[in-house]
Amino acid sequence: MTTAATGLADHLRDLLGPDRVLEGDLARSLYSHDGSIVDGACGLVVLPETTEEVSACMRMAHAAGVEVTPRGSGTGLTGGAVPLDGGLVVSLARMRAMDQVDVANSCVWVQPGVLNLDVSTAVAHLGLHYAPDPSSQQACSIGGNVGTNAGGPHCLAYGVTVQHVMGVEMVRPDGEVVVLGGVAPDPPGYDLRGVVVGAEGTVGVVTRVLLRLTPLPPDVRTMLLDFTTVADASAVVQGVIAEGVIPAALEMMDRNMTLAVEEFVHAGLPTDAAALLLVEVDGTEAEVTTATAVVERVAREHGVRTVRVARDEDERALLWKARKTAFGAVARVKPSYYLHDCVVPRTKLVEIMEAIGEITEREGVMCLNVFHAGDGNLHPIIALDRSDPDETARAMRAGDQIVRACVAMGGTLSGEHGIGVEKRDYMPLVFDHDDLEAQACVRRAFDHSGRMNPDKVLPTGTRCGEVGLADAQVPEGTWI
Amino acid sequence: MDLTPSTRKEMAAVLREASAAGRVVDIRGAGLHARRGRPFTADEVISTRGLTRLVDHVPDDMTITVEGGMTVQEVQGAAAAHRQGWPQAPAEPGVTVGGVLAAAVSGRRRLRFGPIRDSLLEVVVATGDGRIVKGGGRTVKTVTGYDLPRLLTGSLGTLGVIVQATLRLWPLPMAETWFGATGDDAAMLDLGQQVIADLHRPTAIVASPSALHVCLTGVPDDVVAPPGMQPGGEPHGPVGAGLVQVGVPPVALPALARRLAADGQDYEAWLGTGICHVAVASAGEVAAVRDLAALHGGHAQVIDGDDPLRADPFGPPPPGADIMRRIKDAFDPAGILCPGRFAGAEAVPA
Repeated sequence: MTTAATGLADHLRDLLGPDRVLEGDLARSLYSHDGSIVDGACGLVVLPETTEEVSACMRMAHAAGVEVTPRGSGTGLTGGAVPLDGGLVVSLARMRAMDQVDVANSCVWVQPGVLNLDVSTAVAHLGLHYAPDPSSQQACSIGGNVGTNAGGPHCLAYGVTVQHVMGVEMVRPDGEVVVLGGVAPDPPGYDLRGVVVGAEGTVGVVTRVLLRLTPLPPDVRTMLLDFTTVADASAVVQGVIAEGVIPAALEMMDRNMTLAVEEFVHAGLPTDAAALLLVEVDGTEAEVTTATAVVERVAREHGVRTVRVARDEDERALLWKARKTAFGAVARVKPSYYLHDCVVPRTKLVEIMEAIGEITEREGVMCLNVFHAGDGNLHPIIALDRSDPDETARAMRAGDQIVRACVAMGGTLSGEHGIGVEKRDYMPLVFDHDDLEAQACVRRAFDHSGRMNPDKVLPTGTRCGEVGLADAQVPEGTWI
Repeated sequence: MDLTPSTRKEMAAVLREASAAGRVVDIRGAGLHARRGRPFTADEVISTRGLTRLVDHVPDDMTITVEGGMTVQEVQGAAAAHRQGWPQAPAEPGVTVGGVLAAAVSGRRRLRFGPIRDSLLEVVVATGDGRIVKGGGRTVKTVTGYDLPRLLTGSLGTLGVIVQATLRLWPLPMAETWFGATGDDAAMLDLGQQVIADLHRPTAIVASPSALHVCLTGVPDDVVAPPGMQPGGEPHGPVGAGLVQVGVPPVALPALARRLAADGQDYEAWLGTGICHVAVASAGEVAAVRDLAALHGGHAQVIDGDDPLRADPFGPPPPGADIMRRIKDAFDPAGILCPGRFAGAEAVPA
């Protein structure tokens, strides 16, 4: 049911006051979008500030039978935070409090609206950091990171969000508050915490998150390597890991992306290189010395042109700025982009990069690549102008073929952005009917009503037994 | 009927028949972690030991896909041929992949490498009603759909039989050594705390009532004996009629261990992780250990023991028990898979 004609808005205003219930056309339009190219339809937005307020909002939505979409910073790239059918958006953006850091146990409870980078900044003086570091970390929220099980360059060695979330407090669809997991490891029962992370807001609204904090490494070295072929760079990715070195991060950038980034950041990147590798190794001094030597040796065996080692923290920060502003740099090429987040086995890197090149050339679209090469997590970015319907159609076709090529090589749909709406109908490429039905049953065990972020993650027609999820048709007029 | 199916399809068929007939089944790998959870009476025991194939090993991707009845040792052997290993797995001889995943048994190297759930990339289970369900994916990173691998890890055979698992492997370290020291419990705990404070990412710090064992992993220059310690072997673990696994906030572990030592109880405390294994002799001792764990902000579950010791293996129902029950009902609608065994299950109707 949509929010209109339920009287819900009045009840919510009584609870939160008029300033924290947004109903105007502008607000509803803004909250009908996120970082993706999905256009949704938002009925109403609330801005709660406490768990109790979220719980009260959820009870009201439950009573009114209204669909709910939780939202963090709205930087997601698959439409996961976009309501599709006029539902209620619960924005957690105002819930930005952090508890006092539990230094002895290396963890901290935070509200979901806290920005990713702010956690590491707040605990740096204690010699700690929050390891998952999506490129959008200056803007994306912890709640959104939990929803999508977000990654980032340093997840190669440190692991993705679910490995750094020790517990969550969640408001269930009927408003009940539950705490799953905690500081004490391995509580009895099924690992529901593990299911909530990455569930894209379809099982409840996460209102507090217990983050594991990781000691800052005693030593770090950051290297920029440049190659005349993508194949050489890929061989180095493979070779370094085969030598038994798992770098903290191992990122690749192709020539198109290097050109766009260098114009934007002026980091002295070699714009004539076919591929750049940004490699970071960390650990003890002895570990870093050994790993650096391995990286340099393997790189030379595969024809590296130059090895640039960051001399100081400023240069290291500049190299990372070049990497992390890459998506933004695309704006210098075209006003919009269409991005995929597929993963392939690391051994298929050369093959998939060639396939992406062929596909985008055939469709006549420009593709820029910057990605987490160490774990095979691609980010082919198709630059486009959405006011050009023909180019948009070609970009969509190219994206579709890229996804299918990745899956055909033994890959999967998403490494860190999630499924949302945008990858939803690809799910049958990797899961069969019984697999999807089992997932629908897990979701339904949390949300019997099917009101939590409906039409996301699972494709049309996926059912748990006889009872369907909310009618998973994309409403007419939704633009994907 | 053959209760040692040799293919996943046969496994599914056996379960489908058991569901149709309402026969309660227990699932058994090597049987080393069978005495877990609340006791129940099974009409038959289904073995996974017919499912022992290595399905796929891609050394360059550092992933291995094996059937659930393969032993951990066999996985380690296949991986070692390529200078790789599965550091999250426990070292007990004979234990199966499906067994350690279903029981969520993490090895002692957890402090550095994390719990075993973090190493399971893709899982295939045969559900109670005989469906084959896959979750996760074989790439080292995936957020494609709901996290069935984590849900299945620690499910104690109550949701399905793990017929296949894809595991993430790690390079074997250039050097690894266990170091040991002996002394009274307080001195050993202090020494262990000192190792945590001094070293970057130690692999394991295991305190017992009269000894400390430390495992260091990495480049040879870093694998040197901490002050007061000598190279030695792995600890043997506490010995008793039963075992309880305590989980407390890591900082509370030394105090909990001191109290156990004062009470004369054998234990193995994994400093830095909050995990402690305690030997127990009676249901009364289980309750006492659970009270102590609760006092320190944690919980306790019986992970080995005969039926009387497991009368109350988990303590209070976990948060979200109703969600757990609905998941159980969806995966095992006839309720034939180890009914009543898991935390959150209501007492099984007679």
